[in-house]
Amino acid sequence: MTLPATRQSVAIELDSVVKRYGDHTVLDNVSLSVREGEVVAIIGPSGAGKSTLLRCINLLERPDSGRITVAGHAVDAGSEISNKELVAHRRVAGMVFQSFNLFPHLDVLRNISLAQERVLGRSRKDADKRSKELLDRVGLADKAAQYPSRCSGGQQQRIAIARALALEPKVMLFDEPTSALDPELGLEVLAVMRELADEGMTMVVVTHEMQFARDVSDHLVVMVDGAVLEEGPPEEIFSKPGHERTRRFLRAVLER
Amino acid sequence: MGYLQAIITGIPMTLLVTVAGFTLGAIGGIPLALARRSRFAVLRIVARTVIEFLRGIPPIVWIFLIYFGIGTGAITISPLGAAIAAFGVISCAYMAEIYRGGLSAIPAGQWEASAALGMGHRDQLSKVVGPQVLRVSIPASATYAIGLLKDSSIAYTVGVQEILFNADMQAKQASDAIVPFLYAALVYVIITIPCAWAARSLDSGLRRKVAR
Repeated sequence: MTLPATRQSVAIELDSVVKRYGDHTVLDNVSLSVREGEVVAIIGPSGAGKSTLLRCINLLERPDSGRITVAGHAVDAGSEISNKELVAHRRVAGMVFQSFNLFPHLDVLRNISLAQERVLGRSRKDADKRSKELLDRVGLADKAAQYPSRCSGGQQQRIAIARALALEPKVMLFDEPTSALDPELGLEVLAVMRELADEGMTMVVVTHEMQFARDVSDHLVVMVDGAVLEEGPPEEIFSKPGHERTRRFLRAVLER
Repeated sequence: MGYLQAIITGIPMTLLVTVAGFTLGAIGGIPLALARRSRFAVLRIVARTVIEFLRGIPPIVWIFLIYFGIGTGAITISPLGAAIAAFGVISCAYMAEIYRGGLSAIPAGQWEASAALGMGHRDQLSKVVGPQVLRVSIPASATYAIGLLKDSSIAYTVGVQEILFNADMQAKQASDAIVPFLYAALVYVIITIPCAWAARSLDSGLRRKVAR
């Protein structure tokens, strides 16, 4: 059992999480602990279960066994989860997707305001005010009245970040946020993420951006075949990986 | 020209039957489409059966069933009421299927993003997915509505004084029976063309604005 003092500073705790699709085990007994304000990067080959792990954290995927705690809110895999609990759980974990998933029928401002009104119960005026502040923060104040289709991929992803931040989450989950973007557009997204990290946001980032993982993350997790192969300070893993499989993966991504 | 004037007087009835039937379907199709995709298997099977049943019976049979079925009993129903009710129930089935197609066209990411934002199922449907379904359903709905406008001519069989009814009245008195029907055909075409045009421009307008 964790001591109360450390428990306070733990933002996300995954305890022996298992996820199966039929016979296929996607997550095999994964445990992971993220401290408040920590930036954790998860890397590894595709099919390693990185995205599934992230999606389990905010219960977009229901694990088959194990326990998931986010900002003190614990959910056991087997137990019934009421809708109210589910909403409470997701509110504290903001999620940014690879494919942005902005709402195409709403303008940029409404994209950010909608959940504030429906989930937080803010008035339209208050929500829009907050949305404008967030748009300003991601450098897109001038896009408020545009529709997402009129924005570049990089802009859309920054809007998606603002949309997630609007619910004032305790942690932010990023699922390959730059993988669908041109390298140059990816940079503007990474810059916003870097700022967030500097401001002390707790972040879990599934990524293929090794430079970002190296420079920004405090803790690096290498996943292979549904399990954590190794984890530790990024500098250490990049300079002397503990496993041959990690070495092979790093060589493949760094030498291309 | 006397023919045309007489036939034109049927236009309001044709439009009334079409618009009222379509409106009933556009509303009634929503719960039916949702039931069709329900988590509960029983509800899905019931919805599917209802849809097949509604669609499987020809419109003219529906009109007779409602008009003679209900109309001869304690309750009476006007020819207009029977026609609207018949086209209403049929439209429910067709619109439900159109919505269902629209629903499956919405990317899973829309459900996921709204779920991740903590939105409940009702908000997801009414604020995120539903409006998008309505938009993608516009072309198919417009095609259906135009078909319905033409099908509404069947209402003449129970005495609704729409376009065909008036054409038939004229034909009975005419020396050359074909002429009033030719006028009727012309009137139908003149009504449907702007409808199709309006639907297309609405669709492409929305597409320009929100193109994925």
